[in-house]
Amino acid sequence: MSIAPLLEVRNLRIEFPTRRGVLLAVDDISLSIAPGEVLGVVGESGAGKSLTGAAIIGLLEPPGRIAAGEVKLNGLRIDNLPYDEMRKVRGREIGAIFQDPLTSLNPLYTVGQQIVETITTHLHVSAAVARRRAIDLLLATGIPAAERRIDHYPHQFSGGMRQRVVIALALAAEPKLVIADEPTTALDVSIQAQIITLLKRLCRDKRTAVMLITHDMGVIAETADRVAVMYAGRIAEIGPVADVIHRPQHPYTVGLMGSIPTFGQDHARLAQIEGSMPRLTAIPSGCAFHPRCPKMFDRCLRGRPDLMPAGTSQASCWLHDPDALRTQGKDSKYFEGDASQINQYNTVLPVDRVAGEKGKPVKYFDGDASQIDHYKTVIRPSDE
Amino acid sequence: MSAVPRPKASPTRTGDDVIVMAKDVAKYFDVSPPWLNRVLERKPRAILRAVDGVSFEIKRGETLSLVGESGCGKSTVARLLVGLYQPSGGAVEFFGHNLREISTAAGRALRQKLQMIFQDPYASLNPRWRVADIIAEPLKAHGLVQDRRAVEARVDELLNQVRLAPADKEKYPHQFSGGQRQRISIARALATHPEFLVCDEPTSALDVSVQAQVLNLMKDLQRDLGLTYLFISHNLAVVHHISDRVGVMYLGKLVELAPKRTIFSAPRHPYTRMLLDAIPDLEMSGRARTPVAGEVPNPLNPPSGCTFHPRCPHANDRCRREAPVFKPTKSGVSQVACHAVEEARI
Repeated sequence: MSIAPLLEVRNLRIEFPTRRGVLLAVDDISLSIAPGEVLGVVGESGAGKSLTGAAIIGLLEPPGRIAAGEVKLNGLRIDNLPYDEMRKVRGREIGAIFQDPLTSLNPLYTVGQQIVETITTHLHVSAAVARRRAIDLLLATGIPAAERRIDHYPHQFSGGMRQRVVIALALAAEPKLVIADEPTTALDVSIQAQIITLLKRLCRDKRTAVMLITHDMGVIAETADRVAVMYAGRIAEIGPVADVIHRPQHPYTVGLMGSIPTFGQDHARLAQIEGSMPRLTAIPSGCAFHPRCPKMFDRCLRGRPDLMPAGTSQASCWLHDPDALRTQGKDSKYFEGDASQINQYNTVLPVDRVAGEKGKPVKYFDGDASQIDHYKTVIRPSDE
Repeated sequence: MSAVPRPKASPTRTGDDVIVMAKDVAKYFDVSPPWLNRVLERKPRAILRAVDGVSFEIKRGETLSLVGESGCGKSTVARLLVGLYQPSGGAVEFFGHNLREISTAAGRALRQKLQMIFQDPYASLNPRWRVADIIAEPLKAHGLVQDRRAVEARVDELLNQVRLAPADKEKYPHQFSGGQRQRISIARALATHPEFLVCDEPTSALDVSVQAQVLNLMKDLQRDLGLTYLFISHNLAVVHHISDRVGVMYLGKLVELAPKRTIFSAPRHPYTRMLLDAIPDLEMSGRARTPVAGEVPNPLNPPSGCTFHPRCPHANDRCRREAPVFKPTKSGVSQVACHAVEEARI
């Protein structure tokens, strides 16, 4: 990219140490956002999209922790800043908008006090100037009679108005980056449209970059420049939003797009992805999507694919690796490594299918781990 | 192979194939302050008109959807239709019987034909019961199946119907994902061979890929078992996918009711147009959106005349004064409650 990125996340890993071992919630994510750009991050529950956002603003809840990687803002690392330093970055450099506007406002202070506090903390202006600015901000977010409303408490606002206040609060110190985590999910559709339009307009005017985290592909299509699709803690696909929506490259994105009901045509059935996202305790080996993938082949069982060029986007899928395709079906190693690890995974190939349809998408053995011993000998490499 | 003998003829009086009829049905909630506050602080009584005179009918085998924003009364209609609320006015008729009869002994046969699927699959399944007990509960409550083996056979059959494995019946709800739990709710609802299912936001709590699985399942079941659905949702794309006819509600009233194709291609009521306009556009056709200003007013103190007039671009004096009547349009395809449509101003 020609312009230096505003935000750069490199090889970010987020772990949760638990009594039953360390869970890897975000696994080796790299992304960047240019100044003034809107990057959408979509995925289903548990994909790790909100954790990525929380890690960037330094609000990971313990025991969650950044295990590896770095977060750079304007070329400076911010993931290892001490608490007080990070507080200055939050609000000043990075603003945050969360899903529930009621819990992100303090019910005991008027909205004016909260916005003025943010402004005077980060910018060196007098209280009177800050109040004037707060009124301007509320007006800009479309709150009528802002001079009067500024002295009201959050409970006196409706849901849509509250979210406008939260946006005003996030933009109060003119940050260069806003992390918006499901900003419209709690709102009705008519209000949602107003909030999206508002967010788009404000960020374009102030050239603020936005990381828009949502599960709603429609919101992304309307708002974002680029989109990252997340699955099981990794980026499945990242690229320009029109390309990802109209020419998805990763089988997961293809399934996801097909499963969204649209108005364009009358489908008798929606495309569906069988199964559900794996739990963190049982991320499948190889590509994490392979047990649900209609295009799975032998390479997918060995090794996690990294992002590789796919059309105008990048996808982490072996289908886009020429080497993997060339050797497709010739490789009979279905499981590489120590058979004792098999217990961790609940998908193992059954005996007959391995012998019968080598390299073809096969049916899985999905059952009690105690039965796995029976299959071990077949799974271990190799029968060639 | 069904373990339960299917009840033969439906208890029909009307003879035609309308199986549910809501006649000017209303539900008011008394949300007044306590008596002492009313006396001492002179606070008035407050009546919330959650549903305020709604009429529609549902024919056998079709899916009628109700859409609207929070607080428009769509879930209250769902609860009125299964008898969880008693209407404050009007009546609900089910196979020609007034729904009030449903709590009597004679209403037992009627109750079997009427089931509900709830929004939250985490709250609607008892966490201490095994799946087998959850699904068998309606069978036992209605005394449909006597011996244990037959119950088990029926539970297996139901689990197969919703694409779960019979082995799953020994598990507890927490061992399932959200989509699988919603299938368990569907299996429970199907246990009594119902003809009419009320589905209150059945996929709102689910991720899109799982939502697609549940919607496909619901369509398959409708085709295979001849079910009739009342589908409640705030998601217009989902409604477009599943419905035959769509009703749009605003502040306790139906403002438009029309076949799916008509309502999506030629919406009449300004509120319907606004809702359709507000949907994020996945096709990225680049059409300009006109987000309508304003929010849903407080239902305790609704605007005069047409309750939509403060947000309506076509409102005039008559709209502010006089509430429009819900009636068929000239073409007869849709029913609309709007002065502007009636006067052919829009």
